[in-house]
This record gives sequence, structure tokens and C-alpha cells, in this order.
Amino acid sequence: MTETVLETEGLTKYYGSTLAVDHLVLKIPQGCICGFVGRNGAGKTTAIKLMLGLLRPTAGSSRLLGCDSAALTPAIRQRIGYVTEGHRLFRWMSIAELEKFQRSFFPKQWDHKFFADMIEYFNLPKKRKIKHLSIGERAQVSLALALAPNPELLIMDDPTLGLDAAIRRQFLEGMIELIMRQGRTVLFSSHILGDVERVSDRIVVIDKGVLRANCSLEEFRTAVKKVTLSFPDSPPADVDIEGLLHCRRSEKELELILIGPADEHIAEWAQRNGAEKYHIVKMNLEDQFIEYTAPPNHRRLFQWEEK
Amino acid sequence: MGLWIQISSGSGKPIYVQVAEQISEAVAKGELASGDKLPAVRKLAAELVINPNTAARAYSRLEQAGLVTTKTGSGTYVSDPKLRRSDAADINILTERMDTIITRGLNLGLEGQDLIAMFKGRLAKFVNKKAERRKND
Repeated sequence: MTETVLETEGLTKYYGSTLAVDHLVLKIPQGCICGFVGRNGAGKTTAIKLMLGLLRPTAGSSRLLGCDSAALTPAIRQRIGYVTEGHRLFRWMSIAELEKFQRSFFPKQWDHKFFADMIEYFNLPKKRKIKHLSIGERAQVSLALALAPNPELLIMDDPTLGLDAAIRRQFLEGMIELIMRQGRTVLFSSHILGDVERVSDRIVVIDKGVLRANCSLEEFRTAVKKVTLSFPDSPPADVDIEGLLHCRRSEKELELILIGPADEHIAEWAQRNGAEKYHIVKMNLEDQFIEYTAPPNHRRLFQWEEK
Repeated sequence: MGLWIQISSGSGKPIYVQVAEQISEAVAKGELASGDKLPAVRKLAAELVINPNTAARAYSRLEQAGLVTTKTGSGTYVSDPKLRRSDAADINILTERMDTIITRGLNLGLEGQDLIAMFKGRLAKFVNKKAERRKND
């Protein structure tokens, strides 16, 4: 059986009267790269900070590597890597000083050669101070700092935010590199669904603080479907198809977002309800995500009207 | 290898399908011949920057299609065409797909001869490459 490396139980956080994370129940198995996605303000950063014990939950609990997040011991923390949103590093330190500082928290397993090789690969002068680095360079330093202690669990909060395509790719490479080592697990949040699809084998979707999906990426890819149906007359008033999430209707057409039904089931429903034509649209992950997290009566921002 | 495989991550096609299809095409074109060794799953994953499970899934899809065989402890190889099973069901699927293409072509107003010419033209792209490769070997 695979071990669970990250687990939350009813994890809840209020900021005043605002509910940020709502009874999150989550289990992440060892050995996966898990893409953590949700819209801006969905509660990803709060959830991550709660998991790491940097915020106190209003209710519920979470465990990392079997240890309660509220009481992570230094020994457990040494096995966990964390990359903050925006790559906030001590501005007054040089890269070399920052390495020395960071290394002191991981005395046993810090891989100096690995760190030095990465910094050299990125072409960064070790003596340069963080405050004189660009956002991309700072991100590269923070990637090297995250990988050098060879963490068992690496949690990254939107690590590729605002980075160019080449540096973003370096982060993806870094995650793949880490995951190939025995028993390593990565959880990273991102808004770039193409990146999530490329490297993740697991996806966690949260929306308005509520967990909406926690499954293999493949499962999510096959489950969320868009179907368009056209009818000779007006479409049926009652759309009783299995797994219906959204239904948009126009004069003679239906657009359905469905979760889970097999293609044969859709074909059968279309026939039974007198559809002239139906089409199962192949969506990419980004479209699937937008549809999946759209509010029930979602309309396009700009509606094209035929004159 | 690995370099010529292109991943398009915004596409509706799952990444493992993209990888499997591109390897299939390379085999059909003779760019990969029977007995050629495919890179190890982990190497492919690192080179393409994709999840190792995705790379493994692509290989198992190819294996199911009989296009490659995995020898335990040694690696994954392009299988011998003589040993590839093509049963009646496979041939059936192929015929059905051809019917779809013929239907579309005729509906576009093409004549039977046009379609045959097109088919030959496309086929040449595969067969010529295969011949070229044999000459080079």
C-alpha cells in the first residue's frame, strides 16, 4: 500500500467572517506530482499555509509525513521543502550566504554540489545579493534551495507565477527530477493548466475554499465532458442525464457539461430525447477547469449577438 | 530519441496518447525499426519533461497494440512486424476508418481517382522513408 504523505481532516479557516478554506478533506499518496488548482482567491495559499502549520486552523487538522501540522518537529521539517509564492528570499543576503543559512536547517542531507551545479547552470554569480536579482533569477535560486535538501515532500505555492517560459520549464524539470528519486512527492499550485497537465499525475481542484476534485489527472481528463446537441424543435425541458453539471440552452440547442458518463450513455440519451445531432467536444485541461469551476448560470462576458 | 517527440500541453489529446501516436508513426515510417530499443521510461520522462507515469502509460498503450515488447530488466523494443498480431477486429476498425475518409472525400466532391491519388501520395511519405532507412542500414 502507498503511504499517505499529506492528509487533512475537516481543515477550515476563517479570516474574520470570511470563509477561506471549508472543511478540506484531502489525502495525497506518496510518489506523485500533484497539481493544486483553483481560481484566484480559491484558498490555495491559505490551505498550503495551514498544511505547513504557518497558520492556525479555525477547525480541523492536517498531517504532513504523519505528523500534526500544528506540531511539526524540526526533524520532520527537515524532510519537507516549501517554496513561497513570489520567491521571497532575504534580500540582503548573497546567494552563497543564503545557501549557508538554508543549509543550517537541513544539516544532514544538504547537497552542496547539486546546489552549486544548479547555480552555475543558471549562470548566477554566487556573490550577488538577492536584492540585485531579477524575479526570474530569484525563482531560480529558490528552486535550487528547494531541491538541494532532497525533500521527501516538496510544497510549492504558485512557483511559476510571472516567470518566462524557459524558467517555468526549469521548474517542471526540477519536479520531474525530484520525483524520479525514490518516494518523493510534490504538491504545487499553479494557474498554468498546461504545466499541470504536463507534469502532474494527480490533480486537486478547490473552489471558494471547497474541495471539488482529488483524483488522478487521467480520471479528471476523462470525466469532465462537454456535449453539444441540436434538436429539430426546442430541446427537452427536463435534462435528466446522469452527471449533469451545467446546462445551457438556446432555441434549438443544448450545451451540457457532464461529469463521468460514458460516451455510449450520452449517445443513448441523445437518441432517446430526439436529438438530431450530438457532438462530444474534446476539451483541453484548461477548458475543463473553467467549465468545472464555472458558477451554475455562467454566461460569457461578451455575448455575440447575430444582427 | 525523445527530441523529435513534440508535446503540446494545451491540446485536447492526453499526453500519453500524443507520445504513443508519435512513436507509432515513427515505426510506420521506418524511423524506428523492429529491434530498436526505446529509451527507458524515466529517461523519456526526463527528456520530454513529463510525468514518468505518463511515459509508462504511453509505452503500455504501444505494448497493447503489439507495437513494442518489454523485456524485463532489459528495456522496451520495437517488436518484429511478423509477430505483431493483426486480428479481424483490427482490420475491421481499419476498414471502418477508411469508409469514413471515403465518405468525407466523396461528399467534398472528389472523384474516386482523386482519392486514390491522394492515398498514394500520403502512403509514399511512409514507404519512401522506410526504403531510405533500409538503404542506410
